[in-house]
Amino acid sequence: MTSESTTFDPAASARSECDREPIHIPGSIQPHGMLLALDARHRVIQASRNAPEFLERPLGRILDEAIQDVLGQPATETLAPMFEPFLEDCQPRYLGVVPVDLPGRSALFGLIAHRYRGVLILELEPLIAERPAGIENIYPLSNTFIARVQQTRTLDELTRMASIELRRLTGFDRVLIYRFEADWSGTVIAEDRNDVFPSLMDHRFPATDIPMPARELYRHNRLRLIADADYAPVPIVPADRPDTGRPLDLTYSALRSVSPIHIEYMKNMGTIASMSISILREGQLWGLISCHHGEPKVVPFATRTACDLLGQVFSLQLEAREHHAEFERRIELKSIQVNLLAHMAAEEDYRDGLARDPATLLSLASARGAAIVAEDRCELIGETPSEIEVRRLVAWLSATGEKEVYETSSISSVFPEAAAYSDRASGLLAVSISKLHPSYILWFRPEVTRTIKWAGDPTRAPAYDSGKKQISPRKSFQLWQETVRHKAIPFRPSEIEAAVEFRNAVIGIVLRNAEEMAELSEELERSNKELEAFSYSVSHDLRAPFRHIAGYSELLRESAGTRLNDGERRYLDVIIGSAQQAGTLVDSLLAFSRMGRQKLNYQAIDMNELFRETIQEVSLGLDAGRKIEWRMADLPVVSGDMIMLRQVARNLLSNAVKFTETQPETVIEVGSSSGETETIFFVKDNGVGFDMEYVGKLFGVFQRLHRVEEFEGTGIGLANVRRIVGRHGGRTWAEGELGVGATFFFSLPKRPTDLESRL
Amino acid sequence: MLKPILLVEDNPKDLELTLVALGKSNLANEVISVRDGVEALDYLLRRGPYAERTEGNPAVVLLDLKLPRIDGLQVLERIRREPALQSIPVVILTSSHEEQDVLKSYKLGVNAYVVKPVGFKEFIDAVRELGVFWAVVNEPPPGSLKPKR
Repeated sequence: MTSESTTFDPAASARSECDREPIHIPGSIQPHGMLLALDARHRVIQASRNAPEFLERPLGRILDEAIQDVLGQPATETLAPMFEPFLEDCQPRYLGVVPVDLPGRSALFGLIAHRYRGVLILELEPLIAERPAGIENIYPLSNTFIARVQQTRTLDELTRMASIELRRLTGFDRVLIYRFEADWSGTVIAEDRNDVFPSLMDHRFPATDIPMPARELYRHNRLRLIADADYAPVPIVPADRPDTGRPLDLTYSALRSVSPIHIEYMKNMGTIASMSISILREGQLWGLISCHHGEPKVVPFATRTACDLLGQVFSLQLEAREHHAEFERRIELKSIQVNLLAHMAAEEDYRDGLARDPATLLSLASARGAAIVAEDRCELIGETPSEIEVRRLVAWLSATGEKEVYETSSISSVFPEAAAYSDRASGLLAVSISKLHPSYILWFRPEVTRTIKWAGDPTRAPAYDSGKKQISPRKSFQLWQETVRHKAIPFRPSEIEAAVEFRNAVIGIVLRNAEEMAELSEELERSNKELEAFSYSVSHDLRAPFRHIAGYSELLRESAGTRLNDGERRYLDVIIGSAQQAGTLVDSLLAFSRMGRQKLNYQAIDMNELFRETIQEVSLGLDAGRKIEWRMADLPVVSGDMIMLRQVARNLLSNAVKFTETQPETVIEVGSSSGETETIFFVKDNGVGFDMEYVGKLFGVFQRLHRVEEFEGTGIGLANVRRIVGRHGGRTWAEGELGVGATFFFSLPKRPTDLESRL
Repeated sequence: MLKPILLVEDNPKDLELTLVALGKSNLANEVISVRDGVEALDYLLRRGPYAERTEGNPAVVLLDLKLPRIDGLQVLERIRREPALQSIPVVILTSSHEEQDVLKSYKLGVNAYVVKPVGFKEFIDAVRELGVFWAVVNEPPPGSLKPKR
């Protein structure tokens, strides 16, 4: 780029060399104007050696003279505001066109003045065939520009329009808009040109092309013209300030002589004349409008004044465009957030809500992939690394520190193994929801393989001239392409901010959920207690009346038995039988409810032993004539509650015995099979069986598939089996065929830790 | 003279049925019935309406759990705390199947826990066995009067 100092290598050593070049005290100026330095008494203490030519008087009658005597009354009056003693060092002021007294006549000069380090520096340029640079002349130049840039909507349009308008206004061969990146390298983002120069659109220039001191000068001095790279510098005399004995500081000077390195740089680029206008954003250098010409070119004073104004208009427009874009994005993100939060609030687990609307989740961070990660789940949405890779990434994230929001455009630069999936995830935006149980929401952006067109090879070593102890500018600006890998488009500040806000909202929901859960479990506990109290009172109070009915009926039968006829005695028997049956029902129901509440007491159980004992038990109650062939396979050891599982075995075996009593030969088989996560047991009989149509009713409370007269029982046995097995985390099911038999299955989950610790 | 049986029962129907059952057991022991925990303790500690009664502990206390004022478990607890009473056999005779009650009763040192069967025949059998065991078969603790046969 057309900077005042240059090399092309980004190596730090080169940069520091450049950063040291004293470009603000060259001791000379460019020849298209003259410079006068005044002391506090408004006397000329230093002047450029070309001043006598412009003023048509010898140097002796300029130095040490009062400014009024040198320039005459009208020009001095224009300067009056600059004489204010309280005026601080300040930016140059365009004071306009002033008449200067020459011997026998008066001539017009453009006047720029600024005060710096105790001297007032005046710079005067003769007007060359142009109209005076009054507001009436600048306005027509500027207003088209202002009108047109205001019509642009996007940043691209704005920069494009600005380059066209500035070229039209100034007549340069090429006008570039150059934007600084975060590392101070620069990219050409807009261009307008004729055929004199090649296009530099999209080219990138290393940071060393415009080193720090040059950037500082650009920041202070918004407009800079180099009219002719082949100029002969005009020295300032005397070279040093009489009051300080040091060279005059020309930081803010418009005419300041150009660094020889920069001249060489310009020549290498083929540029003879150049002009640059600084674009500042919030006080910082954002970029440059850079104008190039293949021949010497003195831009008229009025035009430059207009350009300076337009540069400022452009800066403001730029700021407005960027603010506007960010603002719009923020509003968009807000509405995305609201949508997501609504989904989340509607679901019991907020993560279900997040995963329900993948497109919205992704759009919150303009991402192509996302992951919701917690200990117990890992939800992958869109283009993401594999679950294992995501979990490793999360482990790394939570190990690196307690940042609530983490963001990078290149994961692999900090977490090298991420290079393996950079096609899906190069950019990462991560918010941590909980530190206690590492839980994250991650957004991924894919790698954007970008080709950067460097203006010259940025990796080549600098040419170092040891004789002059200076860096030489590079000779070649030939296109040099570099492919950037493993990098995603960086997340914007508004997106990161939205992620932070989103995190807070999510945490709000998580906390609310936790509170609700606590409330729910409290309620559950309360209703459990109520249920307990209820069944306690049922057990006491409901049983008593049945007992009384049975008892008094019995007494009546005893005392009046002989006086009653057979029918009356049968009535009494039915009353007694029903009361007893009701009492038994209450007992079964209470036992069933107890089964659901009782705490499980896990222990290792040898199922062989358990079933063998239970077979003996049920065999005791058998009618004398019954013969049963028991077939028992070798059963495994399981972990469970001994008392409850015995109940299961008792219910299944007594059922099998009961429903086979009509068969001439009874065969009951007990077996098991081992799965990966559970052990399955079954009891198979060759009894009356059941119709599979009613299989769903089998395990319900008080559900019977047979009439009471056929098979006695309360109809609660299988409900108990299902409840007990369910409490162990297992399943129950059955298969049957009418008249052929039935098989009842139950499974028990394998509990490795439990078994190991107990066996 | 035989030591009496103390029956603590608030429900009049249960009381009647239990007395019938005890009567059918052909026990010679007198049965003293009281209607709540306070009365039971009054009898045992010989106070209030029972201040004038003859000295000596009952052969067995048949104790219901759900009682007005002082409940069965509290009565049991008091009996086991009182040096003069702690060796009296106590049988809980109740409707309750509740595990917690069974557990608490045994913790407090009950001698037997009997759930009243719904069927009257079974009830009579249970009460008879209880009466026979505790009033006749069981050797009473030393220091108390031996039942005269």
